[in-house]
Amino acid sequence: MVWNLLLKALGETLYMVGFSLVLSAFFGIPLGIILVITEPRHIKPAPLIHKLLSTVINIGRSLPFIILLVAIIPFTRLVVGTSIGTTGAIVPLTVSAIPFVARVVESALLEIDRGVIEAAQAMGATTIQIITKVMIPEAVPGLILGLTMVAVSLIGYSAMAGAIGGGGLGDLSIRYGYQRFRGDIMFLTVVILVAIVQGLQSFGSWLAARLNRR
Amino acid sequence: MPQVMIELANVTKIYGRGEKRVVALDNVSLKINKGEIFGIIGLSGAGKSTLIRCMNKLEVPQAGTITIAGQEITKLKGKELRETRRKIGMIFQHFNLLSSRTVYGNIAFPLEIAGVKRSEIKERVLSLIELVGLSDKISAYPAELSGGQKQRVGIARALANNPEVLLCDEATSALDPETTKSILGLLQDVNQRFNLTIVLITHQMNVIKDICDTVAVIEDGRIVEQGPVVELFARPRTPTARRFMKSVLPTEVPAEIKERALKLDKNWPGKTVRISFIGEVAGEPVISSLIRKFQVDVNIIYANLDYIKNIPFGSLIIDLMGEGPKIEAAMQYLEDLGLKLEVLNGVEPTA
Ligand SMILES: Nc1ncnc2c1ncn2[C@@H]1O[C@H](COP(=O)(O)OP(=O)(O)OP(=O)(O)O)[C@@H](O)[C@H]1O
Ligand SMILES: [Mg+2]
Repeated sequence: MVWNLLLKALGETLYMVGFSLVLSAFFGIPLGIILVITEPRHIKPAPLIHKLLSTVINIGRSLPFIILLVAIIPFTRLVVGTSIGTTGAIVPLTVSAIPFVARVVESALLEIDRGVIEAAQAMGATTIQIITKVMIPEAVPGLILGLTMVAVSLIGYSAMAGAIGGGGLGDLSIRYGYQRFRGDIMFLTVVILVAIVQGLQSFGSWLAARLNRR
Repeated sequence: MPQVMIELANVTKIYGRGEKRVVALDNVSLKINKGEIFGIIGLSGAGKSTLIRCMNKLEVPQAGTITIAGQEITKLKGKELRETRRKIGMIFQHFNLLSSRTVYGNIAFPLEIAGVKRSEIKERVLSLIELVGLSDKISAYPAELSGGQKQRVGIARALANNPEVLLCDEATSALDPETTKSILGLLQDVNQRFNLTIVLITHQMNVIKDICDTVAVIEDGRIVEQGPVVELFARPRTPTARRFMKSVLPTEVPAEIKERALKLDKNWPGKTVRISFIGEVAGEPVISSLIRKFQVDVNIIYANLDYIKNIPFGSLIIDLMGEGPKIEAAMQYLEDLGLKLEVLNGVEPTA
């Protein structure tokens, strides 16, 4: 009975985190790339776009998740047809992670030696070729570490998603552990969460190190 | 008439504005012939990198035109610029290799970008790897290579698209003297093999001396002197050129000899003379002529000799002894041969 509850909650957490990670990467990575290449002396300088995007990202990053969750309910309903439940939680989780991903990607891409990008320019590479054949491959270890960080914080946020009936381990821990005084369940959920975070971080670090050729 | 490959006309490049304004290139004009190795030397901050980076439009000058192989690169944009850049190879001080690609992948990169077929890429890369002597490192990543090996990859990569021009920005500055020699040798080899025009930026005079045909001296964004390397060594006109020259040639008189010359008795009937020469001296046996024709005694006290592109260059310090008029005549004879003379004794010590 307890195990069934835990298993179901674990599934919900993985579902929420997995989907929102993939979706936020899908939208956040291009934003991070645009943020970098529009910098003053980069390959496509565009001060206005850069400033605008940077400001929007900062606003997104400064909104407390719990407020965002509520504030975008109409939008969530529009996108997935419901604002509650596990699926309803994916939208706010994704929206909150997009600016985070964008910054993480930005810092990974800024780590690349400018000389390498310049060499590609000198060889006659197009902007797209520089992004896909130089910047991304060169930044792979940094990108993996950054996305690991995003995944870990999504696990944390997914616990709050319980507030809108999103389910998941955090929600289980609050409902049973806190509200029904089931210390054992609270303990077990915490153990599982810690294990997931540990595993994820170790895997991310290992993969980044393995792919690092520098 | 040599064919002009690169021509810069009144190029001016200014960075920043207001208080931060820096005139990096000030009305620079240059002509570089096809097939030559053209060196540009200058102190740090003189504008060397800016100059070479303007040549493939990595920097855009505010004024002037740059023409490469008949194409006015300063006018090109987008696709045309990219296609022209493929014909201009470039190598860098810090190599700028893709750390995520192997030696093979790095050399294949410019070909991939140019849309060359996979099978052709393989053939071309393998022959380039052989050319630069890295056949045993084909699957190594840059982090596993020495500086010299990295620069060889850089050169192979720059040659991949059969460029007409190779731009080298301080290509040997991060290398030790031995490795520098081997990289310069490779550059000379590809220069001759492919009749490639090479523009080489450096602050090391020995690089100019070893492989360049023509040299330009840049100072504060201006070309202050330019001409055949041998000319510069023979007759440096600017203090900057002279300073660079001193760095590779022992043109200073050794202190011991200076002292010795100054200690000589004022009444000593002779002269300590330094003779500087460049090139073969008119085929005459100079020293024996002195003795025979002018009846003076010659005592050689110091000599040094070096070569710039197979042309001997050096100085000789001798004591000339004999009667006053005969010494005068002997010295006149030496000057008539085009040698530069400098009397070391009987002069007030300077500084
Ligand atoms: N991107 C830039 N922005 C502003 N100033 C610059 C920039 N690049 C170069 N400069 C300035 O232009 C001048 C020439 O610089 P450049 O890099 O061409 O010199 P250099 O001869 O290559 O020197 P070094 O031997 O140190 O490489 C310097 O005063 C430098 O500070
Ligand atoms: Mg420089």
